Amino acid sequence: MIKLDNVSLVFQGGSVALSNISTTINEGEFVYLVGHSGSGKSSFLKLLYKEYISTKGSIEVAGLDVVQLPRWKTPLLRRKLGIVTQEPQLLEKRNTYENIAFALEVMGTSNDEIESKTNTLLDLVELNENAFKYPDQLSGGEQTRVSIARSLANNPVVLLCDEPTGNLDPELSIQIVSLLEKINRAGTTVVMATHDSSIVNRRKKRVIELANGKIARDESEGSYILR
Amino acid sequence: MNKFSYVIKNTILNMRRTPLLVFATIIAVLVSSFLVFTTLSARSIVQNNTVRWQNGTHVVIFLDDRVTTTAHKQLQQSLETYPEIRTVEYFTKSEAEEEFKILFKDQPELLSEVDYEKLPSSLRVNLNDPSDYELIIERMDGNPAVKEIRTSGEAIERLLSLTNTLVISASTFALLIGFAAFILIINTLRLAAYSKKKEIKIMRLVGASSTYIRLPFIFEAVFESLIGTSIAVGLGWGIIEYSKNSIVAESIFDITISDSYLIYLTLVLLLSSIIFGLFASFVGIRKVLND
Repeated sequence: MIKLDNVSLVFQGGSVALSNISTTINEGEFVYLVGHSGSGKSSFLKLLYKEYISTKGSIEVAGLDVVQLPRWKTPLLRRKLGIVTQEPQLLEKRNTYENIAFALEVMGTSNDEIESKTNTLLDLVELNENAFKYPDQLSGGEQTRVSIARSLANNPVVLLCDEPTGNLDPELSIQIVSLLEKINRAGTTVVMATHDSSIVNRRKKRVIELANGKIARDESEGSYILR
Repeated sequence: MNKFSYVIKNTILNMRRTPLLVFATIIAVLVSSFLVFTTLSARSIVQNNTVRWQNGTHVVIFLDDRVTTTAHKQLQQSLETYPEIRTVEYFTKSEAEEEFKILFKDQPELLSEVDYEKLPSSLRVNLNDPSDYELIIERMDGNPAVKEIRTSGEAIERLLSLTNTLVISASTFALLIGFAAFILIINTLRLAAYSKKKEIKIMRLVGASSTYIRLPFIFEAVFESLIGTSIAVGLGWGIIEYSKNSIVAESIFDITISDSYLIYLTLVLLLSSIIFGLFASFVGIRKVLND
């Protein structure tokens, strides 16, 4: 599903974000990407959805050669992915329902399909009762759930989450992770960047640890304790 | 919601966000297009008139009446041998008097004061190429039968030169206002794009194509440009129609301009306004969408 081969990312000015990264994430896996701030977690994810372009190496995501993919074809890649950022990036003038529906609107989905899919997603993230609330009327956890629902609108095969629990308290973080695991059980591959050790320790999933732009550890489900 | 209705809805939303800027943009495009339309139409009208005049008499050689009529006739015969000359017509004193009376029939005071005996006989020369008038002046220089030479070529040249100066001045002005319109469109689009920055970011994340993200902005620029130009062209047509029946048309100019030329000019301006809008939108949102 995801394959990185000897991938490096060097920014203009020479700072090295990632160095010789090689790893494979299989279909249906749930992977935590951990590491301290500046270890390269966000850069790793951004390479996968072609927000950044690697300096070296090859990247394959959902059957597409990300490095060779022309820039104008980037939307094709992103339609296969769901992307959740640390800030939920909700539109303030749209309510919960409309924020989720927006992802479908911009893809030219029919009105009937928008209605049925948005309601299904509201069920999934358990926000039916908040459907007509605006972002400033929602808690941080609820906003993140809206963001997750929106990222799932176009049936992605891979869900990339960049510190979605970064601004949440432990209890809300657990709710979000439970939601992501539910999505994963339905068949979606999930890669979640986090520096929250309590989550990683409890959930017993595969963990890839980055340190100074390199893979420090890559351990399979349950065998890893974050230091 | 299909893609087209999404684009149209967002085009209208964008324009409603900055109504004053949109209005200013349309006005600037209107003024610029109006200047182009009217100056090009005016040039065509002047050209039509000068061509008409050029088909008439090009050189009038006033003859010295102290010289015999035979000498006048000899001069006419010698002129007729010049290859540059198409026709030479001898105009007698009495014919000159009749012509004068017709030309100034509305000024009886003038007619009563004129000493018709002083009106000279003349040779009216029509040239194959009106620009050869200087050659005739040169050849007639020093001829005792010639009293004075007047040419229409000089007047036509002055008029054409004046028209060209006007066209260049108006075009420069139109270009400056057009550039202002260009800047206004860019600013309008950038403001709209910045106010939708988060929306654009989400669209990119969910995989909306770059063209689809750009379309509302492109539509807005083309719409503003087309509206401004359409109003300008409409005004231009109106003014030409009005001028055809005006005092100016009756006294100096024949306000004739072919419909086919006006349609051609209209189509060129409308097409140019579309290209103008496309280019302005390309420049306006390129950086914003690449951020």
